[in-house]
Amino acid sequence: MRPRVVITGMGVVSALGVGQAAQVKSLMQGASGIGEVRYLPTQHREFPVGEVSLSHDEMLEMLQIHDDQRYSRTSLLGMIALREALAQARLLDREDLAFISGTTVGGMDVTEQHFPEPLPSGMRDVHDCGANTNGIADYFGCFDYTSTVSTACSSAMNALITAKWLIESGERDIVVAGGSEALSLFHLNGFKSLMILDQERCRPFDKMRAGLNLGEGAAYLVLEREETALARQADILGVLSGVGNACDAYHQTASSENGEGGYRAMMKALEDAGIDRSRIDYVNAHGTATPNNDMTESAALRRVFGEKLPSVSSTKSYTGHTTSASGSIEAVFCLLALQNGFLPFQWEFQNPDASCIIPVSGFQCPRAELHHVMCNSFGFGGNDSSIILSRYE
Amino acid sequence: MMRYHVLHTVKLCPSFLEVDGRRVAEAGGETSFLTDLYRRLGLDYPKFFKMDILSKVGFLASEFLLEQEGSERFVPRDDRAVLLYNRYSSMHADQVFQETIAHPEDFFPKPSVFVYTLPNIVTGEIAIRNKYHGESNFILLPEYSEQAINQAIECAFLALGTTSLLTGWLEALSENDYNASLSLLNTNQ
Amino acid sequence: MELTEELKTKMIEVLNLEEMTPADIDDNAPLFGDEGLGLDSIDVLELIVLLERNYGIKITDPKAGKEIFASVRTMADYVAANRTK
Repeated sequence: MRPRVVITGMGVVSALGVGQAAQVKSLMQGASGIGEVRYLPTQHREFPVGEVSLSHDEMLEMLQIHDDQRYSRTSLLGMIALREALAQARLLDREDLAFISGTTVGGMDVTEQHFPEPLPSGMRDVHDCGANTNGIADYFGCFDYTSTVSTACSSAMNALITAKWLIESGERDIVVAGGSEALSLFHLNGFKSLMILDQERCRPFDKMRAGLNLGEGAAYLVLEREETALARQADILGVLSGVGNACDAYHQTASSENGEGGYRAMMKALEDAGIDRSRIDYVNAHGTATPNNDMTESAALRRVFGEKLPSVSSTKSYTGHTTSASGSIEAVFCLLALQNGFLPFQWEFQNPDASCIIPVSGFQCPRAELHHVMCNSFGFGGNDSSIILSRYE
Repeated sequence: MMRYHVLHTVKLCPSFLEVDGRRVAEAGGETSFLTDLYRRLGLDYPKFFKMDILSKVGFLASEFLLEQEGSERFVPRDDRAVLLYNRYSSMHADQVFQETIAHPEDFFPKPSVFVYTLPNIVTGEIAIRNKYHGESNFILLPEYSEQAINQAIECAFLALGTTSLLTGWLEALSENDYNASLSLLNTNQ
Repeated sequence: MELTEELKTKMIEVLNLEEMTPADIDDNAPLFGDEGLGLDSIDVLELIVLLERNYGIKITDPKAGKEIFASVRTMADYVAANRTK
């Protein structure tokens, strides 16, 4: 029988702040972290973003980094999140853990500071995606295996999926997985060229939605074989009970009209978890607020759940779209909702759209006893993933 | 014990194309080797010309690989995953895109280049072409590593419903510097 | 050169329509959908950039592009009426 994969630690940094408590507070108050650009040196100040309210120097200070090596913002955000996860799991003194991190932007922010001049010697090898993962891992010295998953916006979730498979295959007992992504001019300009950025705060599933806001952040989960966690008397926060990845096989950026990829990913996750769809209490949707995503994801959700749609919301109205980190940041939100018994809600939601689901809204954060929650993360290239997180019972 | 076997292999680099270890084409024409190979396949797939180098190389290598298989193409399936690896991600497209935003006086980010600034677009292109709805993943490795690749393959076959893999190393740094080594693997029944 | 011909030449270049010549593109044929050129949403964005770069025309809503880019003819009419350079 396959071992159960449990979660024994998590760490997160987003536009809502540093650490789990800050996220819970904002999510329950309905307080979005999206606002004006502060740190990204862009001329496009018309686009609101979900920036982490920390400068480069403030992060170095938090992490007590004093050497002059230029760390990317992606690495620093990752270190902050990972520290919380390892501390909660009481694993900071280990040296034999595996680390899988999703990122696509990597060290682009540092590269941009030099462009079009070539990077100074010695720096070229520390700014690609993989080097960012290793930089984060080396800071802690807890890892003897690292890997980077780079599948655009589904990267962090695919890191979680890879981690589950590594544990189930018997290769590893403990894998720390998630993702980290900083804002960069490169992808802000790229998303602008695709005309999918909203100049107002994004409005997932709203008839008036006009695109996404970019965000940044990082989150990691400590995933562990159940017996190992029990043997070392770790606190078990939840179970990664099902995972699914599927390909939309339709277009580089647009989703197919009936949400084929998302539908298949969700169905696989349900099958992997071995639970009936009726037992899903909440879905944290990919919900980017682009006209195309929300319509096609709604179509997929309706195909999966039929008439009995569970509560659905998109927390991108709080953090912006944190691209490669979104899968793990939102997985942490799901676990926090499970633990604290609430449904993340979109209090600003106003205009239902017949082609979309209606998200959890209202003036107050609904309390709810949750057992199984689903989290979706879809990426360019039609790389769609879905996971199911469950209460440990 | 191995839980899978190799059906076919393809190697493609700027000087030659090998299918199942046999040299089937060599560069030397006036036009680009990649365009020559596209024409040789006799395809009507104009999207090919819109692709970045990474996708062109991956697309052609996969076409020659799947041609060998000889079974009916383009039947939707989700039991075949696309799993590719390299070191430098979508570096070439990244550089081309960065050029379009490097000059404030001539600032026109190019959407059709931006969409290729991700390595997993090529896995998507292969899946779109072949109607593969299974897993698709692009893994970046610090360097070519047989061990890491075998581990990823083992992992991929653990997924529910995955019985076949289109997998391999795919690096493309420019029109003159690329290297694809793809295989088609099936689980042992 | 006539505006329609000029547009066709530029389109072939920016959309990488490698195997086409201006003569292959009918002035009135639909640019999108299965008939005609079969362009997609990314191509629309490229055409928007083309108009801005060459004719100083700014289109901020990609949905507005549908009518403008119905055919080479409609595109030429729009450019003739709105060009600033």
